[in-house]
Amino acid sequence: MERTNGSLLAAFLTALLIAALTGAVGCATGTTKHATSAVDYLYPDTKDPLAEPGIPLLKLPLRIGIAFVPAGSESSGRGGRYGGELMPFPGGDLSLTEKRKQDLMQEVANYFKKYSFVKEIEIIPSAYLKPRGSFTNLDQIRTMYGVDVIALLSYDQVQFTDQGTLSLTYWTVVGAYVIPGQKNDTHTMLDAVIYDIKSRKMLFRAPGTSHIQGSATPVNLSEQLRADSDKGFTGAAKEMIINLDDQLTLFKEKVKERPAEYHFVRTPGYTGGGSFDPISLMLLMGLGGYFLWMKRRI
Amino acid sequence: MDEATHLTARRQPLWTLLICAGAALIFSLPSLPPLFIYDHAAIAHGELWRLVTGNLVHLSPAHLGYDLAAFFIAGAIIEVRGYRLFPALCLSAATLIGVVLYFAEPAMYYYAGLSGVATAAVTYLCLHELTEKEAWRWLCAAVLAVVLAKVGFELAFGKSLLLAGAQGFVPAPLSHLAGATTALLLFVLERFPALGNQSGPVY
Repeated sequence: MERTNGSLLAAFLTALLIAALTGAVGCATGTTKHATSAVDYLYPDTKDPLAEPGIPLLKLPLRIGIAFVPAGSESSGRGGRYGGELMPFPGGDLSLTEKRKQDLMQEVANYFKKYSFVKEIEIIPSAYLKPRGSFTNLDQIRTMYGVDVIALLSYDQVQFTDQGTLSLTYWTVVGAYVIPGQKNDTHTMLDAVIYDIKSRKMLFRAPGTSHIQGSATPVNLSEQLRADSDKGFTGAAKEMIINLDDQLTLFKEKVKERPAEYHFVRTPGYTGGGSFDPISLMLLMGLGGYFLWMKRRI
Repeated sequence: MDEATHLTARRQPLWTLLICAGAALIFSLPSLPPLFIYDHAAIAHGELWRLVTGNLVHLSPAHLGYDLAAFFIAGAIIEVRGYRLFPALCLSAATLIGVVLYFAEPAMYYYAGLSGVATAAVTYLCLHELTEKEAWRWLCAAVLAVVLAKVGFELAFGKSLLLAGAQGFVPAPLSHLAGATTALLLFVLERFPALGNQSGPVY
């Protein structure tokens, strides 16, 4: 009888251990995706006829707004795979926080600030952009912030987690806490699209991508994924800013080649110059002539 | 005017010619103005040379012509007369113009033109020559009065007597004021007894 009880206890403990370990291991595989789309935001209802973009009239220096495209109902936090089912990783939503968005927008703002054709840059909080708000929402932003051009930022981040060979050590229980047997891949794309709001014309766009590979223990997996996510956005932002430079150069060339498609107006005070007036110059010439005349006399 | 001593000295207006040649070269090569023009944003990002070199950039042939003519006349007379601080005047005026515009006109993203430095040269010359003899002195006084009146008019009305609007830029009266102020300061420093007259005409 005692022997039977001992066997039952051993079987129970074994089952418990297996359940715990498979739980730990099971949590550690999956995919999450977070994405926003400028197209979904600007053209939410494809049944409506698309507005034809007009000819942009850009008033130099420009007032530029920067905003993150809000997530649509279907486009963000699509979840991850867990044992073949779609569900998010434990540890909460890994998408961008408002603070992180502000930081990234500030990086883009710093990039634009160096250009003399930029007068002001307004960072638009996410709360001011409505999901699927389209150009109606942008017109509201234009009125509220007085911006002519807006840089809409969207992102697409996918994170994969797989088990590596080291995950075998999870069977020792201690291994699940100290051995980083989870392999993480984070693919990020950040995209900036620059629109002239009034004419609904896209001026140019620039993407930035990054790929972060990392490892984690099952215990700190969600923390590591958040860190990878953050690194991914930082890397993608850096590349996007480099691409913005290239795209801006191409845009300038395009403007020169096709002046009919883009009109520019320079606001007063944009370019200053110092020039002598004819009256002062004539007097000065008289002074010079008199000087020469005196010099010849001597 | 002590004509016999002042005007017989054989001095070449080298600095004047050098500065005029620099301005003409920058205007003639389209790749150079973007590198040298006063660009507020670029200066903010550390390209400090633009504070000075913006004075050598011109936006149109008429702009270049007026500025070079004025600067050449004033600069040549100053150098022939032997005022040795003329290079210092040009450099300090150009720098002060850039700095004043940077802080006082943040909405002015570009600035170009030698007229501020030319104003400094004309003011400096006329201030020095006010102590000379009869006709020359009066002529210098008239030029000085007109230049100062022009600066005052521009500051008061925010527009130039010249057709600046048609040249694609707005006048920058502060540049002329900064130039005239630099000349006045240098003149006072030279005439201040403690500092001595270090750059007066060579007799």
